[in-house]
Amino acid sequence: MKLIKLASISKKLCMGALGAFLLIFLPFHMGMNLCILRDDGGEWYRNVCHFMGTNYIVKVFEVVLLACVLFHIVLGIILAIENKMSRPVGYAVANKSKTHQGSKFMIWTGGILLVFLVIHFVDFYFAKTGLVTGKYVVKTEKVEKAFQEKAMKMQQGQLKEADLKELQAQYMAIQSLSGEKVAKNGKYFINLTKEELQQTCGKDFKDYEPDFYNMAKEKFHNNLFVVIYLLAFIALGIHLYHGVGSVFQTYGLNIEKYAKTIDILAVIYAIVIPLGFAIVPLKVLLTAM
Amino acid sequence: MDFTLKIWRQANAKAKGKFETYKITGISPDCSFLEMLDILNEQLINDNIAHPVVFDNDCREGICGMCGLYINGRPHGPDDGVTTCQLHMRKFHDGETITIEPWRAKAFPVIKDLVVDRSAFDKIIQEGGYISATTGGVPDANAIPIPKPKADEAMDAASCIGCGACVAACKNASAMLFVGAKVSQFALLPQGQPEAKRRVVRMIKKMDELGFGNCTNTYACEAECPKSIKKTNIARMNREFICSKTSYTDK
Amino acid sequence: MATLNSKIPEGPLAEKWTKYKASQKLVNPANKRKLDVIIVGTGLAGASAAASLGALGFNVKVFCIQDSPRRAHSIAAQGGINAAKNYPNDGDSIGRLFYDTIKGGDYRAREANVYRLAEVSNNIIDQCVAQGVPFAREYSGYLANRSFGGAQVSRTFYAKGQTGQQLLLGAYSALSQQIKAGTVKLYTRKEMENLVVIDGKARGIITRDVKTGEIERWFGHCVVLATGGYGNVYYLSTNAMNSNGSAAWQCYKKGAYFANPCYVQIHPTCIPVHGDYQSKLTLMSESLRNDGRIWVPKKKEDAEAIRNGQKTANDIAEEDRDYYLERRYPAFGNLVPRDIASRAAKERCDAGYGVGTGKAVYLDFKEAINRLGKEKVAERYGNLFQMYQKITDDNPYETPMMIYPAVHYTMGGIWVDYELQTTIPGLFAAGEANFSDHGANRLGASALMQGLADGYFVLPYTVQNYLSAEIYNSPIPTSNPEFDKAEAEVKQKIERILNVKGNKTVDSFQKELGHIMWDYVGMGRTKEGLEKAIPMIQNLRADFWKNVRVDEDNDCMNPELEKALRLADHLELAELIARDALQREESCGGHFREEHQTEEGEAKRDDENFMFVGAWQYTGENEVPQMHKEDLNYEFIKVQQRNYK
Repeated sequence: MKLIKLASISKKLCMGALGAFLLIFLPFHMGMNLCILRDDGGEWYRNVCHFMGTNYIVKVFEVVLLACVLFHIVLGIILAIENKMSRPVGYAVANKSKTHQGSKFMIWTGGILLVFLVIHFVDFYFAKTGLVTGKYVVKTEKVEKAFQEKAMKMQQGQLKEADLKELQAQYMAIQSLSGEKVAKNGKYFINLTKEELQQTCGKDFKDYEPDFYNMAKEKFHNNLFVVIYLLAFIALGIHLYHGVGSVFQTYGLNIEKYAKTIDILAVIYAIVIPLGFAIVPLKVLLTAM
Repeated sequence: MDFTLKIWRQANAKAKGKFETYKITGISPDCSFLEMLDILNEQLINDNIAHPVVFDNDCREGICGMCGLYINGRPHGPDDGVTTCQLHMRKFHDGETITIEPWRAKAFPVIKDLVVDRSAFDKIIQEGGYISATTGGVPDANAIPIPKPKADEAMDAASCIGCGACVAACKNASAMLFVGAKVSQFALLPQGQPEAKRRVVRMIKKMDELGFGNCTNTYACEAECPKSIKKTNIARMNREFICSKTSYTDK
Repeated sequence: MATLNSKIPEGPLAEKWTKYKASQKLVNPANKRKLDVIIVGTGLAGASAAASLGALGFNVKVFCIQDSPRRAHSIAAQGGINAAKNYPNDGDSIGRLFYDTIKGGDYRAREANVYRLAEVSNNIIDQCVAQGVPFAREYSGYLANRSFGGAQVSRTFYAKGQTGQQLLLGAYSALSQQIKAGTVKLYTRKEMENLVVIDGKARGIITRDVKTGEIERWFGHCVVLATGGYGNVYYLSTNAMNSNGSAAWQCYKKGAYFANPCYVQIHPTCIPVHGDYQSKLTLMSESLRNDGRIWVPKKKEDAEAIRNGQKTANDIAEEDRDYYLERRYPAFGNLVPRDIASRAAKERCDAGYGVGTGKAVYLDFKEAINRLGKEKVAERYGNLFQMYQKITDDNPYETPMMIYPAVHYTMGGIWVDYELQTTIPGLFAAGEANFSDHGANRLGASALMQGLADGYFVLPYTVQNYLSAEIYNSPIPTSNPEFDKAEAEVKQKIERILNVKGNKTVDSFQKELGHIMWDYVGMGRTKEGLEKAIPMIQNLRADFWKNVRVDEDNDCMNPELEKALRLADHLELAELIARDALQREESCGGHFREEHQTEEGEAKRDDENFMFVGAWQYTGENEVPQMHKEDLNYEFIKVQQRNYK
């Protein structure tokens, strides 16, 4: 019995296509992360995040990507169940055949990556959607502009006594932001908590973005957290090594002549990508950035 | 050499099976694995221990594909590139415990003890593992030259003996290497082209229907194939499949 | 029936088959569907016949004892298949292939049949290539050839060392196509146990389901027997474990004559016996003799030192090696026919020059490796070398192989006429199961040729000719009393075996029979030995029925019972082989009577008195069978002393 009525190879092709899409996404994410390493107080990284958070093409891409991840996971689980059903009675002695490295554990490394993804989303991604609170960044000029608009309204006598108090508090709050709450170039207020944000910009202010730079720095100073991330990257490496080779095989591109090249490519990819990701938390942790 | 044998015993397809342990002594290292089982069976009968262990075997020279035992976690046992009948006891060490199981797969139900039903393979071949050249009315054998490298590659793919070790080794009990080898053989030859597109989709469809698992590119099949059939045959089949699905409608 | 009618068409040799085909009777397509053909066996002959008859539109039922038609022992043939294509332009022709086959068979085969075989040999290659059989090719893309024993031309087509496998898979794929088309019904793991004869015609078979023990009845307007040879009577042979002569024996007991049972081929290049636990002997392809050189030490003391392990083959200097085939037969050298190579090996070993256990000679590739390079040798024989190494743990690239003759093929079999029909109308026999084409010795790469010739190109015509008269006969229900009777016989035999409840295993009887046969009815036979062997076989048979032990019932997969059922027949067949060998007071091909040899130790034929086919008729249990003679008239070939010097 099959859970999905589709030729086995078609299912594989879907799985491979989704995986391949994710393979393309990873270098982008990695490249973005590596901006953190630049000793500029998060300037570059902030700009990249701003672009990624506001560009419409990127936003569409993001939805597609999420869908891909979801289908990749669902299909992976379905295939794993189907495959289990193909051997209702198992062997007493576990199989000792030589297999492609990591190939037997795709569902498990995939599982680890899923757990990691949940943690990662809770820590970072959900801050963007407002599901969880994180740290925020706003442009100083935008804060000042918002304040000035409010002050203007006050002058025109449109505000009440209570609002006046609030405005005063807001002014005090803005003035109190200094040091690590202000970006090096002075153009941003950074690392703001939700409270600070509301105090400085007012409750209705929407023009802020999550401060991933400082959130990352904070998280990566936690040893346990870094260890979890590194473990996930090892799982990612294993998952990728088999994944890359598999895409070629599944799409029939694994021709004898290129088999070695493909394998080397897979090794390189499976080392470079996780390593690129791992450098950031390691650098933060080890150099007290 | 002395061995402890843990062998799967199952009276028939419906019965519940279990492992039985037997001791065997004084085996020559030059004895083949199946000859060792012959000796065991003689003992089991003569010493009134049990009914003889039933296992499939025929040519005993590694070509008929009849034998197939899952020995210590590997189809056809610890030696590479051989069938069970060509495995010799010198590949084990004295005093070793050897666990012998039948092929396990939904598509290969156990008939008795270590014998399984592999007729699923025949059913796949019947879906298109042939070139429809009925007897007579064919051109001269040298009418179509075939490049030697292609012919050699087709020969390598065609050397499959249909033993089922690929299915037994695969963690998903997938038959992709078996089907891939046959599809490849004909895909490589000019004679196979007219039916190529129909062949691959039909054979895959049948393979899926029969309850074999999906391929996850683990390549245990390639590692255990007694005829060393390559995984590139699976890649070729995938290619043929894509090609067929995108340009052909099977009616 | 006193005289055997071989039904050879009139006319010149080269026109007989064409003439037959032009005048045979046909069955129209609508009637073909109504005619049932039973085919027993799915080797080259059976599978190709089933596929061809199915394609014609007959209603075919095909049976095999293994789990798949592809397991039949044709699959193990290594070296190649002969055909008179003359692609290398080295002087081959249909006539030459015909002549070589007759001569190779030591002038004991029927001319007309052999000529037809040579005639259709080319069609076989065409057919197989069309089916996608990956024969070896040259860089030009054209088919490659190599030479085999008994021929001075290169006419052997091959697919690595797995030609039989590829040809069988070709036939199997054609069969699979017909199964899918619905013209052929496949029954696996069913063994034929009896033939049903109604009103003198073969009308069906009784089978035993190997999985369940169930006895079943099957009707056919005709029955084709393609069950291979009976080499396993010798226990140790190159045959598969399940190969057996049981089905043929049942037909013999129902009235089909058994021809030339003493013609048993001993193949010269097999891996020697190394222990009493051994269950079978592995063949090393004859193709190895293309490049391998056979030798033993010249000095007895060297041979002894090798046997004691004090010396190895590589210690023997070139001048101390006796390349005895090249010495005795300079024209053909290492490529003499099988019977001659086998006897020469036996002669050297009996004289004390054997190596290994004393029953082995060397097959050396050193010269070939030096001449061609290791890579080229590996390309030609790599898989055989690997197989040898897996079995013996010796590396043939470094030390010479050790080989010794072993029982391989049975030229004898059910007597058939030109149409491959036996003495029972409606019963046909094809492939190794019949006796027709190889005379007293089969040449290498001819078995595959014959199996496929019978199945693809002969039976479709002759069976149709027979069935053309059957269109008036509707199927006979299997409730017919003759079916009852045949089934009862099978059940009785099974009951009888199960009720012995003795204390000796089937294998022990089989081994004992093998020893008797090898020692007295083997490579060198004598009147004395044969006269001794017959009562020994009779006693063993009596002992079998008193002491055989088969434990489980006939309600499950019971290999002991399967073996016992076959052995019961082999114990009878063995006696017939010995009787035939005793009767044939001459040496020819695979049959070597030590009393009849030249001064140089070559086989000495007696054409005056023995130029006939000895066809035996069953006369009842424990009765002496009656022999009928089919005289061999060589109209087109000049009978000569076989000479390979």
